[in-house]
Amino acid sequence: MDEFQEILQDFLVESFELIEQLDQDLVELESRPDDLDLLNRIFRVAHTIKGASSFLNFDVLTHLTHHMENLLNMARHGDLVIDADVMDVILESIDLMKALLVRIRDKGEDSGLEISGCVMRLDAVANGTALGETVPPPAAAHAAPVSEPAPAVAAAAAEEEPDYSGMSDAEVEAEIERLLAKRQAEDAAKRAAHAAPAAAAPVVEEEEPDYSGMSEAEVEAEIERLIAVRQAEDAAKRAQKKEEQPAPKAEAAPAPVPVTPAAAAPQAKAEVKPAPVARRAEAKEDGEARGGSTVEQTIRVDVKRLDHLMNLIGELVLGKNRLIKINDDVEERYEGEAFLEELNQVVSIVSLVTTDLQIAVMKTRMLPIGKVFNKFPRMIRDLSRELNKKIELEITGEETELDKSIVEEIGDPLVHIIRNSCDHGIETPEVRLAAGKEETGTIHLKAYHEGNHIVIQIVDDGKGLDADMLKSKSIEKGVITEKEADGMSEKEAFGLIFRPGFSTASQVTSVSGRGVGMDVVKTNIEKLNGMIDIDSEVGQGTSMKLKIPLTLAIIQALLVGVQEEYYAIPLASVLETVRISKDEIYTVESRSVMRLRDEVLSLVHIGDIFEVERVFDNSEHAYVVVLGLAESKIGLIVDSLVGQEEIVIKSLGEYLKGIEGIAGATIRGDGGVTLIVDVAALMQMAKSVKSTVGQESSEAKGRGGVKNSASDYCVMIVDDSKTDRTIMRKSLEPMGITLVEATDGVEALNVLKQGDHIFDAMLIDIEMPRMDGYTLAAEIKKYNKYKNLPLIAVTSRTGKADRMRGVESGMIEYITKPYSPEYLMNVVKRNIKFNEGL
Amino acid sequence: MSEKLQQIINKQHKALSGDDTKIDEVIQLVGFIVGDEEFSVPILSIQEIIKPISWTRVPQTPAYILGVFNLRGSVIPLIDLRSRFGLETMKHTEETRFIVMKNGDDVAGFVIDRLTEAIRLPKRDVGPAPDTISEEESMIDGVGKQADRIITILKVGKLLERNF
Repeated sequence: MDEFQEILQDFLVESFELIEQLDQDLVELESRPDDLDLLNRIFRVAHTIKGASSFLNFDVLTHLTHHMENLLNMARHGDLVIDADVMDVILESIDLMKALLVRIRDKGEDSGLEISGCVMRLDAVANGTALGETVPPPAAAHAAPVSEPAPAVAAAAAEEEPDYSGMSDAEVEAEIERLLAKRQAEDAAKRAAHAAPAAAAPVVEEEEPDYSGMSEAEVEAEIERLIAVRQAEDAAKRAQKKEEQPAPKAEAAPAPVPVTPAAAAPQAKAEVKPAPVARRAEAKEDGEARGGSTVEQTIRVDVKRLDHLMNLIGELVLGKNRLIKINDDVEERYEGEAFLEELNQVVSIVSLVTTDLQIAVMKTRMLPIGKVFNKFPRMIRDLSRELNKKIELEITGEETELDKSIVEEIGDPLVHIIRNSCDHGIETPEVRLAAGKEETGTIHLKAYHEGNHIVIQIVDDGKGLDADMLKSKSIEKGVITEKEADGMSEKEAFGLIFRPGFSTASQVTSVSGRGVGMDVVKTNIEKLNGMIDIDSEVGQGTSMKLKIPLTLAIIQALLVGVQEEYYAIPLASVLETVRISKDEIYTVESRSVMRLRDEVLSLVHIGDIFEVERVFDNSEHAYVVVLGLAESKIGLIVDSLVGQEEIVIKSLGEYLKGIEGIAGATIRGDGGVTLIVDVAALMQMAKSVKSTVGQESSEAKGRGGVKNSASDYCVMIVDDSKTDRTIMRKSLEPMGITLVEATDGVEALNVLKQGDHIFDAMLIDIEMPRMDGYTLAAEIKKYNKYKNLPLIAVTSRTGKADRMRGVESGMIEYITKPYSPEYLMNVVKRNIKFNEGL
Repeated sequence: MSEKLQQIINKQHKALSGDDTKIDEVIQLVGFIVGDEEFSVPILSIQEIIKPISWTRVPQTPAYILGVFNLRGSVIPLIDLRSRFGLETMKHTEETRFIVMKNGDDVAGFVIDRLTEAIRLPKRDVGPAPDTISEEESMIDGVGKQADRIITILKVGKLLERNF
């Protein structure tokens, strides 16, 4: 049973591989019906599958392929002209064959599908043409006599062979003529033999079971006879070859040749059967020859093993990152030591080899994208017939390779895009002619590498996308509001076709226009961290560019910081990073936006998305990471940019899976865990958090200096002496600003962290219990968001060293006690940029 | 001499087989304190116990999920049992531990206040969970009684079940 399973598996793998090529060949065949190579190849597929399926007892499949084989065989020998109608029947039968194979794969049996209709059509085409041209009868008539003389002639030829060396040129010519004639006769015989079963299929089927009725001796005899026939033919062929290169070597042949044909000749007379048997052997030979040339250098490997290998490489990459980090630390600490050089070398070698290894393993997982492209010629053909359009598909770059997992995912989106191009893009021939274009529309499918990405481009020369039409359609369908439409750029309008519920076809056809399709494209491409770029010109056509990372497991990421947290953003989705001043953030309809060159980019703070507790952030500048996914863009505000790193995606596990906005986690060089941002989900989430963004930006503006009243200003007084605190309070109270007191450094830090107030400045005494002023200042400056918070020292210490320490710990002003209330007020006013008008 | 030896062997054999049957009836637990109560989980459901290490917060999760941490290359969720049980959170101390529990493929780390001891408890001393708690929702598998104390035995499967 196991052995059977193994054989079955091999059979299925082989069959599916064969079929993949088949579709393309068939479509090509339609344009070049007399390409014998193509025909032969197609024929062999049917034949191979028939042979294997009969061995595996899949009767239905055998029956079907048998009839296909007959039809194809007729075509192969020129007895049948392949036109579109014949092709339809052939394609139909191939679809059926695929369905049967799928059924075998899934259920282990091939029953349950109705094939008789298709078989009848196959026979009808075969017979119809055959009878119409009255080919079979004469062929059948020929069969017996021709197959008889053929070996005889061969025998005769063989006898004469030794003479060649002595022949004159003219004689050699004649001899060649004769042998060619003989060869043709043989061919005719074979063809007739093929044609016979085609025209009289039942006869063959009746004959075959005869074997079972034979006695063992008879079977023995039959086998012997068939072997003899085979040998005779081989000999004849060998003679033929010799003939083609009439060298003196020809002498070697004669001895065996005369014997076998002599024996074979009378037996060949007995039945017409031998030919198909020999043919089968021939085809097998072909198969072997073909297999021999491609198989020798490859082995089949279970994908699971490759996945495992990839996981191990992932661990190695993590280890490498760790090593690099440690190396950097060591370098810092033991600068100038001799062993550093060596360590450096080892680390760089390990890192180099790891990278190479990773690339090597990635390459083993690569498949040519042709695997996906192959099914499109057939699809285009069917679609153009269905839609009554003339469409030609050009494919380039099908040898471009990408990861297996991506190859599997990319098929569906491409199908949708191409269907869409056929249905909506390319016009009918009449319209095209009227528009002064060629009658036949072209869809160009292109794949190429661009850095760490593969770009798949689908270009059609159809009617193009009309931005205004898209907008009005979208409004009509309630996909967008009129207001939204007004603010849309052309590119954004093109992006509308990816919205769920959108369909531009005024009539829903069976091909597309059901309003699903294109949003599936977007989802799938986003899943792969890919981007879609649409370009279109009305009347000229549409170009769609899919940009997809080469692999999924190990990616390049941009590490960003927000408060004390870090997040990794797949670099594939990062278009650019910009540093902007907070003034450049505008609020439009409670959404933060910024101007990026000639575009308006909506902004969202990463802290709002990931609920990062945001303590007061006083910095004037923000970093914006511009994210692009599929066709949409968004600006993500972060506190800091850490850098680019190669990261390995790890799952968060069953317990935490499916957290919105998080695609997974990775382990960093320092052993910590960093979460990876799911850009697609983040963009979705950004829509719902717009209100907080609005607040955030108005807050930012508030910090920027637009205070509505004096009490909006807030200053903290940190001093352990009640008296000193009171003096300061009294000095500042006339300003009307909010004052908060703390008795020492620890308390001040806690008040700050609570975030109840947003402080514009702090007055700090130096000598305090628990935590002194210097330590407090240093602690505060550790937080990114307090970098620009003015810290003012108020102290009785006046030494130069004290001032130095103050500056070092981050104080910006140094007020010595005692001081006048006006002086203190002025210093504070200056530092909080107090607006006297309030 | 040989008779004596035989006796000893028999004795040992008896003791051994006797032990075997005893082990069947005894459950081994690891006890720990969360808040004021002592809890325990079956020893076989514990993968390892480690001292606290740094973790990374995961957004959009309930407060009792502290985040994830790196356990020798695996990313594992960290759950604070104090807040899971509705108690006030507490700063980690010298005695705080992460217990990494597993149930099938599910693994998670749990923060506990401190470990107590490994407990061997005869099965007959384990009573059912109090009736007041519905069987389905309860995280309590049963209550173990020892001379001077009561130990709550937790359902590891329930602890590792995502409920948000």
